[in-house]
Amino acid sequence: MTIDIAFIVTAFFEILTALPLTLTITVVPLIFGLGIGVVTALIRLYKVRVVHQLAEFYVSFLRGTPIVLHVLIIYFAMPKLIDSLSAYFGWSFKSASIPILLFVLTAYSLTAVAYMSEIIRSGILSVPAGQIEAAYAVGMSTPQAVWRIVLPQAFGAILPNLCNLFIGFLHTSTFAFTVSQMELLGKANVVASVNLKFLEAFIAAALIYWGMTIIAERITAFLEKRVTAYSRGGMA
Amino acid sequence: MIHLKNIHKSFGRLNVLNGINLTVERGDVVVILGPSGSGKTTLLRCINFLERPNDGEVTIGALTVDCRHPSRKDILELRRKTAMVFQHYNLFKHKTALENVMEGLIVAQKVPKKEARERSLEMLEKVGLSDKCDHYPSQLSGGQQQRVGIARALALNPELILFDEPTSALDPELVGEVLAVIKTIASEGVTMIVVTHEMGFAREVSNHVVFMDGGVIVEQGTPADIFVDPKEERTRQFLKRITPEWSYPMEALR
Amino acid sequence: MGKAFDLSLLGTFLPELLAYLPITLLILAASLFFGLLLGLLLAIPRLYNIPVLTQLVVVYVSFIRGTPVLIQLFLVYYGLPAVLGLVHLDLSRADPLLFVIVTYSLSSAAFLSETIRGAVNSVDLGQTEAAYAVGMTARQAFGRIVLPQALMVAVPNFANKVIGFLKDTSLAFTIGVMDMMGRGQTLISATAHALEVYISLAVIYYLVVIVLERLFAASERKLQQHERKWASA
Repeated sequence: MTIDIAFIVTAFFEILTALPLTLTITVVPLIFGLGIGVVTALIRLYKVRVVHQLAEFYVSFLRGTPIVLHVLIIYFAMPKLIDSLSAYFGWSFKSASIPILLFVLTAYSLTAVAYMSEIIRSGILSVPAGQIEAAYAVGMSTPQAVWRIVLPQAFGAILPNLCNLFIGFLHTSTFAFTVSQMELLGKANVVASVNLKFLEAFIAAALIYWGMTIIAERITAFLEKRVTAYSRGGMA
Repeated sequence: MIHLKNIHKSFGRLNVLNGINLTVERGDVVVILGPSGSGKTTLLRCINFLERPNDGEVTIGALTVDCRHPSRKDILELRRKTAMVFQHYNLFKHKTALENVMEGLIVAQKVPKKEARERSLEMLEKVGLSDKCDHYPSQLSGGQQQRVGIARALALNPELILFDEPTSALDPELVGEVLAVIKTIASEGVTMIVVTHEMGFAREVSNHVVFMDGGVIVEQGTPADIFVDPKEERTRQFLKRITPEWSYPMEALR
Repeated sequence: MGKAFDLSLLGTFLPELLAYLPITLLILAASLFFGLLLGLLLAIPRLYNIPVLTQLVVVYVSFIRGTPVLIQLFLVYYGLPAVLGLVHLDLSRADPLLFVIVTYSLSSAAFLSETIRGAVNSVDLGQTEAAYAVGMTARQAFGRIVLPQALMVAVPNFANKVIGFLKDTSLAFTIGVMDMMGRGQTLISATAHALEVYISLAVIYYLVVIVLERLFAASERKLQQHERKWASA
């Protein structure tokens, strides 16, 4: 077995140029998912009629199916949908003019909503009922109580889960390579095939993901200390 | 006969036991008293090697274990000659009351299942819990759990039972039922060492009282010696702090 | 990009794909089996704090946690033949299924070792002490007292992991394995109805996940029967 260590270094820096795309595919859906995830979580918690059953099914279905399928389904479905809408309304717009990245981001965002919704729901459930009662007792409305009392405490509780989700999505972003995105894995594939050094290229890519994961874990540990400062007790 | 010779134990740089010598005769009920942090519980746990002493000798009957070089076999044998009742009961959570009592008999002593079952039922009856055989620990009150713990110890028919603050985790109204059970088995001649803060119990049941402080035995003797006429200033201070005026008229023991 | 969407094709594709579900389940079962064995081995150094081995396990678990499973798959696919080439074992004709099972075993072992460790540590030390006090050996105390309680704690976490692993098996097709996804790829080449194939696959995976969830929930109830009754004390 011969491993070209020097080439791992070369490949590392070449593949690293794809990091911005990987981070885009990771972070944009998560932000999107956080926003809509809060809404779906509240719909499920307050059991809003009809909508809550839909939300339940949505979350369960997306969490119960492989994410690579979400990417592929959206990749094939969106252009069809757009083109038929375009034909129906007589627009001159064609799906071919939309960058694939947009489909990828859509797919991951839809997925992120489901995972976020579940995490946020568990976070809200972790806040004791007494906290809401106390908020009502000082005269807050439900939205005020949720926004000012429940969500801040829930956020502290879900921080480790959010970190895991970030790492999960960072790793899941590799599926974008199945629809020919040049993120880290796509780039690694190119570097590998051009130089016919597959093992080295994938080792380099692995190191990048590993490093990113460790950084994410460190940042979370740091944030956790700050966000949950109130629960440490003692004197400030 | 149980004999502890020059037992030393330290946790890192903290010396908890500084040379303990103690002899317990068959049928003795020994109570160990002392302020918290005095090393009482550690001493108890050194006897069955839940803590490993750094130095000294533990003798139970014909078995003497050198604490510096205990073999695995020695430790196991010590544990099979003794039994322990824990402060927090430590019943096996995934086993019923009856199974808790049977477990040691079957696994450690290799008693046939049928016999183990009969003996265990008998012990549960002795502690007044025949009707709770099939209950899991989570379905029992603290007092009931502790009585199962006592039955579990008793069933092993050990040469010595170690009681580690058996009532201090209990709600006050449940203390009585547990002490009553311990009293009964004490009167039947079971050898035991009891770490406790129940002064009334200590006076009434024990025939030997040991007062520890700072990892040494400060004073020991009969209950009358210790409670009525303590020799050491530290003992007097401790008893004064811990004994409420109304508890027992001193004269009753004279 | 394919032909017009035709929902009725699901009726044709679903049975076609279902025929390959056993391969998917085989990958899952085999990698879970080896993953559990290896995971138990990996958990031991950290439970007993064995120097050097502990550090090695920590790095291994961190690496598996820190890299996408797709990358792990490629590393094994290209790396295993190179490593085994050292002992003159030729893998050039090996079934890609082998690489997939090796990857998922190595990967699941890391995650399962963490589950096992967490579960064992969650059992109160007093349980072990009580076992010692009634005269059990270390092995008896572990096998009869700690392990059964740890298993109970581990079930929900284990269930989540297994469902995650099932979904991960959908990546095996990238190295040419003929599981459900692989069969799906060939159906797409033959019919050009990609969307219908992927939707069929999603339906199957979802149903399998639901069945697995039910099974785990039932086994959990069974295991925890003794805690279900009035846990008043």
